[in-house]
Amino acid sequence: MVDVNKLREKAKEVVSRDDVRLLIGYRPGTYGFRARPAFVLGPDEVDELIFTPACVNNLASYITLEEKLPVPRGEEPDLRKVAVMVKGCDSRALVQQMEEKAYDRDRILVLGIPCKGVVDMAKVEARFPNVLERGEIALEGDKFVLSFDGTREEVAREELVADKCLRCRYPTPLVYDELLDEAVERFADDDYSDVSELEKRSAADKWAYWEEKFSRCIRCYSCRNVCPMCYCEDCVLDRLQPQWMRRSVDISENTAYHISRAYHLAGRCIQCGECQRVCPVDIPLMELNRKFYKDVEELYDYEPGTSVENPPLLSTFKVDDREDFIL
Amino acid sequence: MKNPYIPYEVKILDTWYEAPGDRCIKTFKVTFTDEKVWDTWNHLPGQCAMVGIPGVGESMFCISSSPTEKGYLRFSIMKAGKNTSALHELEAGDTFFVRGPLGNNFPLEEWKGKNVVTIGGGIGQAPLRPVIQWIRDNRADYGELELIYGARTSADHCFKDEFKEIIEEGECECHLSVDVEEEEWPHFVGFVPQLLMEVAPKPDNTIAVTCGPPIMIKFVLQNLEKLGFTPDQVYTTLENRMKCGIGKCGRCNVGHLYVCKDGPVFSYAQLKEIPEAFA
Amino acid sequence: MAVKKLSKEKVGEALGELSKFRLIAPAKSDEVVVFKQISDPGEAFLDYGNSTVPPKKFAFPQTETLFRFMVGSPELKEKNVEEEGTTVIFGLRPCDARAMSIVDKLFSWDFDDPYYLKRRELTTLVGMACVEPPSVNCFCTSLGGSPFGTEGLDMLLTDMGDYYLVQPLTDKGKKLEETLSAHLEDAPADDEKKAEGMAKESEGKIRRSIDTEGIPEKLPTLWDNELWKRVSAACLGCGICTFLCPTCHCFDIQDEVDEGGEGRRCRMWDSCMFEEYTLHASGHNPRPTRRERTRNRINHKYSYYPSRFEVIACVGCGRCINLCPVNIDILDILDQVVDA
Repeated sequence: MVDVNKLREKAKEVVSRDDVRLLIGYRPGTYGFRARPAFVLGPDEVDELIFTPACVNNLASYITLEEKLPVPRGEEPDLRKVAVMVKGCDSRALVQQMEEKAYDRDRILVLGIPCKGVVDMAKVEARFPNVLERGEIALEGDKFVLSFDGTREEVAREELVADKCLRCRYPTPLVYDELLDEAVERFADDDYSDVSELEKRSAADKWAYWEEKFSRCIRCYSCRNVCPMCYCEDCVLDRLQPQWMRRSVDISENTAYHISRAYHLAGRCIQCGECQRVCPVDIPLMELNRKFYKDVEELYDYEPGTSVENPPLLSTFKVDDREDFIL
Repeated sequence: MKNPYIPYEVKILDTWYEAPGDRCIKTFKVTFTDEKVWDTWNHLPGQCAMVGIPGVGESMFCISSSPTEKGYLRFSIMKAGKNTSALHELEAGDTFFVRGPLGNNFPLEEWKGKNVVTIGGGIGQAPLRPVIQWIRDNRADYGELELIYGARTSADHCFKDEFKEIIEEGECECHLSVDVEEEEWPHFVGFVPQLLMEVAPKPDNTIAVTCGPPIMIKFVLQNLEKLGFTPDQVYTTLENRMKCGIGKCGRCNVGHLYVCKDGPVFSYAQLKEIPEAFA
Repeated sequence: MAVKKLSKEKVGEALGELSKFRLIAPAKSDEVVVFKQISDPGEAFLDYGNSTVPPKKFAFPQTETLFRFMVGSPELKEKNVEEEGTTVIFGLRPCDARAMSIVDKLFSWDFDDPYYLKRRELTTLVGMACVEPPSVNCFCTSLGGSPFGTEGLDMLLTDMGDYYLVQPLTDKGKKLEETLSAHLEDAPADDEKKAEGMAKESEGKIRRSIDTEGIPEKLPTLWDNELWKRVSAACLGCGICTFLCPTCHCFDIQDEVDEGGEGRRCRMWDSCMFEEYTLHASGHNPRPTRRERTRNRINHKYSYYPSRFEVIACVGCGRCINLCPVNIDILDILDQVVDA
């Protein structure tokens, strides 16, 4: 576990630097067990910062989310760094963004947080509903310890941990300027057993499965907006001229949307799982992303977001690239 | 009551270009395919209509003709997006659809007996044209009419023939400008707010109406204040992205006002209270 | 006439009776509770907290056709809402019904919206009182609502254990009671009193609140306050808070044409949190960042709407709080407004 005092001290040092504009970290949420992103502009604002297993958000999304407004005449653009706290999985988003030349490495300052797993907040809130006053979650060994309303509960890690953490290959950030804790060795692996199960189904079964899910979609675009890899300034989905996707919300357009979204992430998704976490109607988007992820790994021995030196998969060609799947 | 989302078909009687370029401006003179629509159609200067083609879309435009011009409506439309590009393809004899009239109007009844000065820039002359035409057609009801108008170049001036006619007939004071120097330009060179200060209309018993690009409006309003115009003597129109045109779809609000329903005509006194008005 | 009750054993047959209408009820899609048209009474899932998506979509569908046309033909075929037929929304929460009565004001202001109003006319709302507040983030009592609130409802059902107490509230509700009469029995004489007690108890369990006094007037004075930057910094610009809001009613209008030239002009929910919402064709955007968009969302609900319709466009259902991916909390924002 990261020592919170050390974290705040480091944050204070970082935001005090002349070349740092902003630090993005976590702070307690407004109720219950929630935590939320914190945007720290000065050293006097670091006292709220935390890192706990409730810190589920992938803050890498904010690097590209900030609107780029025209610089007023006579003013200089603010080129100071953005400092950002990332877990292992989140760090891969930074790596992939930089692989794709979304920005230069020196525009960001990375505070890496070695992580042994965050909670699935939906599981926590289902288990302990109606917690309003601030509750704390800590990971102690193989147990989550939840303190709230004057009580303390211990729950086995696997009962509340986010699914992605059960197959985490990169618990320690792959890019950082400083690590806020001891590096964590890989403690799990991904055997894609969930994907293999889905692959076995018949086409008709798969369609029935996804039809139910896609018909629930309300096209709030939270899955797109939260995605650290969905940073196009002009998203194809918003375009009207030419229009690639209708705005009508029905099973046909929703399916087109989700298929396009998944394809745009093939070889790019770094499995932070944010899209599935934020979906208000519980569409298991990671099942689509993971199918691509598995295919990409099996076909090209490539894992997105693992090395800034790697060129993006879709911009490379090797003469011995597999092509037997091309019809 | 008629469904306010269903547009009327109009037939193009005539079209011509007002200004050239990528963002060229084309005027459409149209009449309703079903003549009976004229029995219920009542618009006043300043009011707007949704104009479009089923299959393409609709956008809000001011009706650039005065109700005193009988038997037709005019729209002057700048080519900007999908819908306006499709409209620009149309010629005399073609049809499109119109839904309206929408929004409020310039309070020309209240202005009776007063002088009116219009200050326009570029395509912003389109909502001013029906005001000017209304006054020309009801000349005895109003005091002095004075026109101030500018555009980037002389080619970008809208309604050139009408300005020419007004100037040649000496109907009223008419001051034109271009932003940058050009050969054989006999009028003012500079921006409209500068031209306004040059002309310096007197505020006594006078209404100033201004339409144009937001940056022009901003400085025109400041300059009108310098000239002694009080905010309730000054009127302008706002525009925002619109969809329904009838105060339902939400997007066109500036502060608590819907541009489509409470506007597009606002007095500067109203807008001064709303910080979002000049966003 | 005695107050009636509907035994839980008879809910199935009562819903069967109602399925001669377009019957909308909460049901499960996987583990998500959604309102949907049901034909089999067994699909109804009445023992629920609240639905993720509010039932507003049955008055104001997420996508609806305004008229149809053939490209190039002058004939426009107006959508006939009447064809959808009489509708019963069964088991909605009082906050969501109250939201509809709030949105009614907008759709009947000045220009009548024929689609929405016709659908409302055809619809009977059967509410399900919240014996327990469904969420820790419920705050209906701060907005003039109640877990047992009746505003906007035609009939209120209260879960008394083995049966539902049936209270018709309007002529539509009385008519529906007649339709259901074969399935209803007399309720115990003191049930209405008992329900009043349950209402008080449930109200007492609502733990979040905001004193809205003065907020509508104060908001416009905070236009340039730095709080807007602060509260919007984490916003992702997605549509969750607005699409899941039972009072949000903004829409886009789009023309959609199939191969062969058959087209329709339709409207679909839109969100003031989307960049594209206010983007001009020129490229100018009067609300260029999430700061302006968040400010508009709060102002619209808590200032603009009450200034025109004398009611705040929020019913305290808590959905936007529960489901915001980054824990932006409208009560947290309003607290900052109060403190500013």
